[in-house]
Amino acid sequence: MPEPAIHEEHDDVLGRAFDRRLAGRLWATARAHHRLVWGSVALFPFITLLELAQPYLLKIAIDDHILHADWTGLTAVAVVYAAVLGALYGLRLMEAFLMALTGQRVIHDLRARLFEHLLRLEAGFFDRTPVGRLMTRVLSDVEAVSEAFTSGLFAVVADVVTLVGVVAIMLWMDWRLALVTFAIVPVLFAVAGYFRIRARDAYREVRRRLARLNAFLQESIQGMAVIQLFAREAHERAEFQQRNEDYRRSLFTSTRFEASLYAGVEALGSVALALLVWYGGGRILDGALTFGALVAFIQYTNRFFLPIRDLGAKYTVMQAAMASAERIYSLLDRGPEVETPRATRAPAAAAGRVAFEGVWFAYADERWVLADCSFTVTPGEHVALVGTTGEGKSTCVRLLNRTWDVGRGRVLVDGVDVREWDLGRLRRHVGVIFQDPVLFTGSVESNLTLDGDGGRVAVERALSAANAAALVERLPQGLATPLVERAANLSHGERQLLAIARALVYNPAILVLDEATSSVDPESERMIRDAMARLMAGRTTITIAHRLSTIHDADRILVLHRGRIHEEGTHAALLKRGGLYARLHELGAGAALG
Amino acid sequence: MCLAIATGLSLLIPWTVKHAIDALAADGAAAPLAHYVGLIVFCAVGNGAARLASRFAIAGAAQHVAADLLARLYAALQTFPPSAFARYTTGDLMARATSDVSAVRSLVGFGTISAASTVLAFVGALAAMMAVDPWLTVWAMAPSPVLVLLVRRYNALVTTRTHAMQDRLGELSTIVQERLAGMGVVRAYTMEARAAAEFAGANAALRDASAELARTQAHFTPLMGLVTGLGTLVILWAGGTAVASGRITLGALVAFTGYLGYLAWPTVALGFTLALGRRGLASMERIQQVLGDARTAADDTAAGVAPEAAVRFANLTFAYEGRPPVLRGVSFEVRPGELVAVVGPTGSGKSTLGLLLARLWEPPPRTVFLGGVDVTTLPLGRLRSALAWVPQDAFLFSRALADNVTLGRDGLGEGDVRRAATTAGIAEEVAAFPAGWDTVVGERGLTLSGGQRQRVALARALAAAPPLLVLDDVFANVDAAKEGQILAGLRAAAPTILLMTHRLRAAQGADRIVVLDEGRVVETGAHAALLAADGLYARLWRMQRLEEEIARA
Ligand SMILES: Nc1ncnc2c1ncn2[C@@H]1O[C@H](COP(=O)(O)OP(=O)(O)OP(=O)(O)O)[C@@H](O)[C@H]1O
Ligand SMILES: Nc1ncnc2c1ncn2[C@@H]1O[C@H](COP(=O)(O)OP(=O)(O)OP(=O)(O)O)[C@@H](O)[C@H]1O
Ligand SMILES: [Mg+2]
Ligand SMILES: [Mg+2]
Repeated sequence: MPEPAIHEEHDDVLGRAFDRRLAGRLWATARAHHRLVWGSVALFPFITLLELAQPYLLKIAIDDHILHADWTGLTAVAVVYAAVLGALYGLRLMEAFLMALTGQRVIHDLRARLFEHLLRLEAGFFDRTPVGRLMTRVLSDVEAVSEAFTSGLFAVVADVVTLVGVVAIMLWMDWRLALVTFAIVPVLFAVAGYFRIRARDAYREVRRRLARLNAFLQESIQGMAVIQLFAREAHERAEFQQRNEDYRRSLFTSTRFEASLYAGVEALGSVALALLVWYGGGRILDGALTFGALVAFIQYTNRFFLPIRDLGAKYTVMQAAMASAERIYSLLDRGPEVETPRATRAPAAAAGRVAFEGVWFAYADERWVLADCSFTVTPGEHVALVGTTGEGKSTCVRLLNRTWDVGRGRVLVDGVDVREWDLGRLRRHVGVIFQDPVLFTGSVESNLTLDGDGGRVAVERALSAANAAALVERLPQGLATPLVERAANLSHGERQLLAIARALVYNPAILVLDEATSSVDPESERMIRDAMARLMAGRTTITIAHRLSTIHDADRILVLHRGRIHEEGTHAALLKRGGLYARLHELGAGAALG
Repeated sequence: MCLAIATGLSLLIPWTVKHAIDALAADGAAAPLAHYVGLIVFCAVGNGAARLASRFAIAGAAQHVAADLLARLYAALQTFPPSAFARYTTGDLMARATSDVSAVRSLVGFGTISAASTVLAFVGALAAMMAVDPWLTVWAMAPSPVLVLLVRRYNALVTTRTHAMQDRLGELSTIVQERLAGMGVVRAYTMEARAAAEFAGANAALRDASAELARTQAHFTPLMGLVTGLGTLVILWAGGTAVASGRITLGALVAFTGYLGYLAWPTVALGFTLALGRRGLASMERIQQVLGDARTAADDTAAGVAPEAAVRFANLTFAYEGRPPVLRGVSFEVRPGELVAVVGPTGSGKSTLGLLLARLWEPPPRTVFLGGVDVTTLPLGRLRSALAWVPQDAFLFSRALADNVTLGRDGLGEGDVRRAATTAGIAEEVAAFPAGWDTVVGERGLTLSGGQRQRVALARALAAAPPLLVLDDVFANVDAAKEGQILAGLRAAAPTILLMTHRLRAAQGADRIVVLDEGRVVETGAHAALLAADGLYARLWRMQRLEEEIARA
């Protein structure tokens, strides 16, 4: 199966020059917790100092006390040493905790930002981007970025501080020996530089494949019934396995870099030690160096390479984090295409007037779904929109509540172009019941009061108008009954009833019903229609339905055909006219079998 | 193996240093320094190479283990009936498949590497230290028992906190998944603020749970550092006296501190390893939980002759968990070649019949028969290849339309797709798309109209020309003209059809109509007979008729 181009993201185009900017943005994210950050940074010098004191104490012990069999002096050194250990333990504990805490806070903030950003993105984005891919961003990419802080940035700063300390003390003790040790450093840089570029590419690939794997998994979980019904388990498993394998392979590639870097640094460390013995040994022979100093030096060399080895490990973590950060920021940078304009205009009166003026619309390219579509709905009117399937009825609804923006022409609600409305207000003003009744996990009641308002009274009234009161009563815990994902524990029609009730609780000035009762039996539908007529009296309603019996009593029926309103009028008038509507009606009546 | 070599080689280094120093101390001029230096370099390079090889081997193995685990998880999910999916949300399952699997990967990978190198390092270093001076070794190891006790105490805490943290992650993941998948509703009902608030709550809970865990784990590394430090302290003190009294050489003392230094890193790593290990084990439990829920008797072989198409429900009573029965004593039959329609009010149990027939829910034994065979005794693969069920809400994958119809089934060519699409009344519309059958639809078929989605799902069921069709309200979003056309085509193809519908017009021409009400069959018969009986069906029919009459007038 060819992977569609639109589902792949263009994160490859992000250059490497991005690094500094990326690091800057990461820092900006962490700044909210600067107190924690500085708190742990402030600990570093103390920790380093204490760590460096240890070998020096050892040197003193050997040179001044052990070699002279100075018993009391040795004890004194031992006591100091113990004190250093205790202090070190306390400081390290604080450091570790502060670091972890900062990491968690940064994840928390970044996640919230990402999620809130996603909530603002337009429908077109979600048409193209699988949810599983987005989940990977919000959940695991964010975690990788926080690694950049906990084991990355902090540890790097800590390591650098340690290094500076070690270098200083080594130079102070014997600069010649120190220089011998440092001779290895340029080699180190060369090695790290080589890995840097490759590792980043490898990590980008890892993240991309992980997103692909997760998207597939997410969709499989949701469509598992279909897979099972058509006995496609083996086939889907093979598809999944292929993505799983792809991911594993990319992971292994990245491991190669990690491991090589680690081993390289380790080997270099030992080479430095060899140099030290060789050169230091010579200097002892010359009498320029004490034994204690050489021993301490060897320990310092160890301490010199520990942070460097660490840096090597951190380096790869940082590369992984950067790869994730790129993905996160590229998503954050993608502004919503449909959003509230800077200068909004409020309508003079929220009467419920709707007007399409020469609207052209295409989802993609120039494939016009609506072509020069014009109609008006006056306040309080009950209008029906009919047309054959795929004609563009639901599309009209999406333009009305500005899920999409028109290509040409205007959509006016109460005299104001929807593009000038405050988006939230517009959508509070125009309520839509969708063709596909999506409900969420949670209680029935929480599903009825989506935007948070709506008291018990409103809920009960809406339920009875939607003919759902009996249904709710039948449920084991009434309004508190938990619904599972997508309300799979209700029948399809029951879901539609709740979706209707939900819209009534929402109580908009203009109500749009897009096939709201398509899976409801005729009797219930009839009752709902009557109740709605009472509840929505004086308010604008637009009904879309294929079952013409649902809409025959509308004030006006608009027939959508080839992207425009082909004819309009009352049921009787349209029948008399003998046009498209009459034909639809005739065919419907004759749709019986045999 | 490689690790053992690496450890051996790296242990040689302090030993060499010891000899170098002793040689220097004994007789500076005669010390073969170059000799020692060469040995150290050799050890270093060998150590690096061996370590590299071992890392590749172990990390590679861990990645394999994780990939296999994920594959097993996926296979288990494939056996999940809807009832199991009701227990886990998609988001929770996703969290397990990602975060938990990767925790296991770390356990097997880093965990094994550092555990193995720690053990080897300890064993090697201990042996070497014993060789230098047993008495001093005992001293150096004195603080270790304390370590064991402390670690034990923390482990229990880490486990419970890991569980808590992963559960929070599952909750957060659920919110993200559901809200993003239901974005249309979120947007239209200006639910953004509430969604963000819910997210914020779960997000904060996760942060706190993670911080709790981190607080426990923060102890590990400093603790290990403390213990090694104490070792050095003891050596300094006890060893110092020994050197002073001339019992051991200065070189031996230096080598000792070298060994302890060598142990420092593995010991610190031990803390990290233990944390990883705990987290990995806790995650493994969560994965096992899903694996344990897999339906064991799952048999997806379609081998054997498919039972001929005839359905019989015999005194079927069925209740969903914790609910009163939704079907009560339902009995009726669909004979080969017949079209039987099931009608009835919303929630009367029509879809449940289909779910039980396809065994997405398990019916009681001897109540549902396909071709005279109790479906509960049929292998699932065989049962499902004998019927094509079009569910009430059409689910499409975000793939090309052609792939959505064939679902990768062998032997389904372009011709079959066209034929099925023509019968389903979707061929012309698809042909009008710029990419035709290669058009990739959004998730769940998001980029198609409601009616188009339903008809693609119908085409999918028709593609393999199944002997039995179960159509659950598939015309709900299709106009009446299309509906009539499709039904006529289906009849001409003449498979056995079980049709659930609210459109009485579609039911009108059925060989038999079964009227369900609150889970009971209240009437059966042909259209005319039912009208004559003047029951529920007649009432519903009149209601639809009446409206049309009124409209006509
Ligand atoms: N998100 C989308 N992206 C691209 N094309 C789309 C999208 N949504 C709908 N379309 C296409 O636009 C056309 C009109 O779709 P729309 O959903 O408005 O039809 P409809 O009149 O509501 O049909 P139905 O009665 O089947 O629900 C269809 O051909 C459909 O394939
Ligand atoms: N998974 C489930 N768990 C618990 N109860 C369920 C589950 N699925 C359905 N029900 C309940 O069983 C009853 C019958 O549902 P079913 O889907 O069979 O109805 P239906 O006749 O198909 O209705 P519709 O016409 O709305 O599609 C409903 O009251 C519903 O709430
Ligand atoms: Mg539609
Ligand atoms: Mg149903």
